[in-house]
Amino acid sequence: MRTKKQALLLVGSPGKENSTSASLGTFLIEKLQDHGFKTDVLFIYKSIRQDDSKRALLGKVRQADVVVIAFPLYVDSLPYLVVKSLEIIAKDRKEKIPKTEQSLLCIVNNGFPEASQNDTAIAICHRFAAETGFKWAGGLALGGGGAIGDKPLSGIKSRARNVIKSLEITANSLNSRVPLPQEAITLMARPIVPKWLYLLIATIGWKKTAKKFNTHKNLYDRPFLS
Amino acid sequence: MKASILDGLGKGDIAMNNIHKMIIHELMEIEWKVESFILHDMKITHCLGCFECWMKTPGICRFDDAGRKIAKSFIQSDLVIFLTPVTFGGYSSELKKALDRIICLDLPFFKRYNGEVHHKMRYKKYPGFMVAGILPEADPESERIFKTLVERNALNFFPPAHVSGFIYRYQSQEEIQKTINTLLGVTETITSITN
Ligand SMILES: Cc1cc2nc3c(=O)[nH]c(=O)nc-3n(C[C@H](O)[C@H](O)[C@H](O)COP(=O)(O)O)c2cc1C
Repeated sequence: MRTKKQALLLVGSPGKENSTSASLGTFLIEKLQDHGFKTDVLFIYKSIRQDDSKRALLGKVRQADVVVIAFPLYVDSLPYLVVKSLEIIAKDRKEKIPKTEQSLLCIVNNGFPEASQNDTAIAICHRFAAETGFKWAGGLALGGGGAIGDKPLSGIKSRARNVIKSLEITANSLNSRVPLPQEAITLMARPIVPKWLYLLIATIGWKKTAKKFNTHKNLYDRPFLS
Repeated sequence: MKASILDGLGKGDIAMNNIHKMIIHELMEIEWKVESFILHDMKITHCLGCFECWMKTPGICRFDDAGRKIAKSFIQSDLVIFLTPVTFGGYSSELKKALDRIICLDLPFFKRYNGEVHHKMRYKKYPGFMVAGILPEADPESERIFKTLVERNALNFFPPAHVSGFIYRYQSQEEIQKTINTLLGVTETITSITN
């Protein structure tokens, strides 16, 4: 008999242990640990590489009471890695859906400052849940994800206070199996820094990086014209 | 005029193979050049999210593979056609792998459009889109999500015209042909804008 509830975090940012997705997802999973969950974290880029890692992924998904997918918005939807993993999980669940109730929650962050640009990606995850027999636990969207970057939330408590509050509320709701409160969604969507400042910092950041690569005069190149 | 077809149908999706052929046939009839990419047959490295295509080698991804060829063909086309099974309301992983590699066609810098932030254009001219989603049968919720996704892509990749529609697996050849012809109506709009 299994006593502890199990939560699985799938991180869908490509090839990076250090990402906004990992920071957000890890914080939530640690909160679930505090609630007594047994937890696991998998990085999708590793999990879909080989047959045995795919099998391990499917095994963990079958076992989980709660699955959290944290990923960046790529071209207005889920990154390739996340779509691929959902296809693999859906195929597995065609054969057999576990009898116990399993919840699915997603956390999406994007580069543009508006959290609402993640709505389509959340709708896709919701649809995936409906088609594969997960109970939909809701979707959180963070705009201007670069303001978190690869920093653990515990290290940027003041800047990330709304994000932290949102994830704490989310952990409570997952633990007590109630629908995600609107407050959690609203807090996560609140800009971390004002839009104008975010854009200014991002633009300065691009220019600085270009200077480092000595490409600052070539940033507007059109290599495919010829 | 030139069209690129990004065929994101799965390996072994033979039933839908003919759609690709029908589209090529129609485009040849109106004397368009066609470049086809059968994505499941190609080795495409997935985007690593490193942004080197904006910073280190502006406009080009570090991986010199089919993903780079597709980005080049995309921007050199007048129309890009996406074929994909509607996958939870979105695109298939095959198609998504190729699309994640085209952000090099935009600039890293921002502009505001309709109250939202988007990227600035790297190129002066971008291709139109025609997006055909394949479904077993009509599915209003998936179709709504899919159409929204195409609209969102249109905000980020500046097509002069775009259209999306659905093909159902149970449909006859005639019905499929009719949908394709309707969708390809976008070529007329693009031709009239170009000339
Ligand atoms: C290929 C690619 C496509 C992207 N597409 C979008 C997009 O459509 N909209 C957006 O707001 N940000 C987009 N972004 C930016 C990422 O969502 C943003 O950098 C995010 O904070 C990365 O999160 P991570 O650290 O968890 O990977 C894109 C980034 C990449 C590399």
